Amino acid sequence: MLELLIYLQKMGNKEIGELVVYVTIVFLIAPIFIVVYIFLYNQRKKRHIEEKAQMQLTFASELTKAQLEVQEQTMQTIGADLHDNIGQLLSLTSLTLNSIELDNLDKARQKINDSIDLTLRSIKEMRLLGHLLQGDQLVALGLSEAIRQEINWMERSGKYEIVYLAEEEIPANNNPDKDLIVFRILQEIFNNIIKHAAATTITVKLDYSEGLLRLLVDDNGVGFAADDLPVAKHGMGLQNIQKRAGIIGGKADINSNPGEGTQITIFIPYP
Amino acid sequence: MLKFFTINTIAEIICFLIAITCLSKDKMAAWRIRILFLLITCIAELTGIYVKHLYLSDRVHIHPNAWVYNILIFFQIAFFNFIFQQTLKKFIQVTPFIIVISSLLIILHVYEICSQSVYIYDDLANSALSILIVLYSLYYFFHLIKDEKPINIGLSADFWWVAGTLLFYFGTTAYNVFYEQLSSIVTKTGQNPGVLKYLHNVFNIILYGCWSYSFICRRWETKKSES
Repeated sequence: MLELLIYLQKMGNKEIGELVVYVTIVFLIAPIFIVVYIFLYNQRKKRHIEEKAQMQLTFASELTKAQLEVQEQTMQTIGADLHDNIGQLLSLTSLTLNSIELDNLDKARQKINDSIDLTLRSIKEMRLLGHLLQGDQLVALGLSEAIRQEINWMERSGKYEIVYLAEEEIPANNNPDKDLIVFRILQEIFNNIIKHAAATTITVKLDYSEGLLRLLVDDNGVGFAADDLPVAKHGMGLQNIQKRAGIIGGKADINSNPGEGTQITIFIPYP
Repeated sequence: MLKFFTINTIAEIICFLIAITCLSKDKMAAWRIRILFLLITCIAELTGIYVKHLYLSDRVHIHPNAWVYNILIFFQIAFFNFIFQQTLKKFIQVTPFIIVISSLLIILHVYEICSQSVYIYDDLANSALSILIVLYSLYYFFHLIKDEKPINIGLSADFWWVAGTLLFYFGTTAYNVFYEQLSSIVTKTGQNPGVLKYLHNVFNIILYGCWSYSFICRRWETKKSES
């Protein structure tokens, strides 16, 4: 410090002036840098908040979409069930009752019994349909129960042998929004199996560990080359599965090879 | 008469007029008090110029104008501490700290005046105040960064007031550090060496420019909240 003062004393007026100017310019740049940094950081904060709001909007719209799709799927199922199952049963009942000949009491009794049997089967079918009519309320019963109902319906077609393994330790404080999205993803996977897989056995596993919910759907269908599938052929189904899993902070792993079936695993942070 | 109108005094007077226009009806005392401070600053600057010219014409009987600025330092200590207390209280309670610090600064300034002379500029108190103002400003910006909620910087009165203050007081650090050498040159020659006088003008324009803009922003803020 002393040497600096001696040096300054030796310096001329002009040199001191120049030194002060240079130091001042450096000292001016520093706060300008701070102000600019704060300005840019503030802009980043604003963008972050906007992105967060946008994500919330996307989530809300996806949730509504999933709700509508679940309802639509339910209506389609009910329509098909009424036409193919209950409608047929009631037509058969009507035909049986019409064909009763009161002169032949034994035969009439037999036909009445058949009609009662058909009516009981119709009532049973109606009850099952009643469960489906609850639509998205199905999820309110809990994700595991909703999946069970969906599997029951799939099994009734008689085309699939389905194994369902559900862990009992799924948190009681569930997240209804995430449940709905996961349920919709499962419906989407089942739709793909029905449309494209030609599978005979399906395994569904639902388990939970360390804050992560895992849903696995494995089928023995025709499979496809998951890695080589062109974007256009990737289909809305698979894209939707991945997009929806991403919206709730999770991911979907799709593994498939031609002739080796398809395995889809959904990982969701839960609850 | 024209000698009173330098770039510095013009910048101060314009800022003072903008302050009257924008802040006279402000509901907060912390903003209205800025008009009073600018009035005191303008009076001090004009008095300083007047005394300087008296001194240059009669160096034997008249003292340099340092005593005017020594008086101004009292107002500066009170003003800046009060304003930063008001600005920072949104983030943190600093009132006890500010009371202690401003008392210490006043004691230091009084001591310096008594130990040397009121006619010698108290560079120590001025430097200490400058450092304190820079720290307050940086502390304000630190909280601004820490705060999750973004602000509309373009229209933030507080931001522009603090930015102008930081640019001025941090930027003029070299000026304060080399004050003794510079003042000896000014005393001998009656002029700031080289581009220094222009540099000082630039700092004053930055300070009063930012302050004026901050007063306009404040007016917009209050108008918006009224409607």
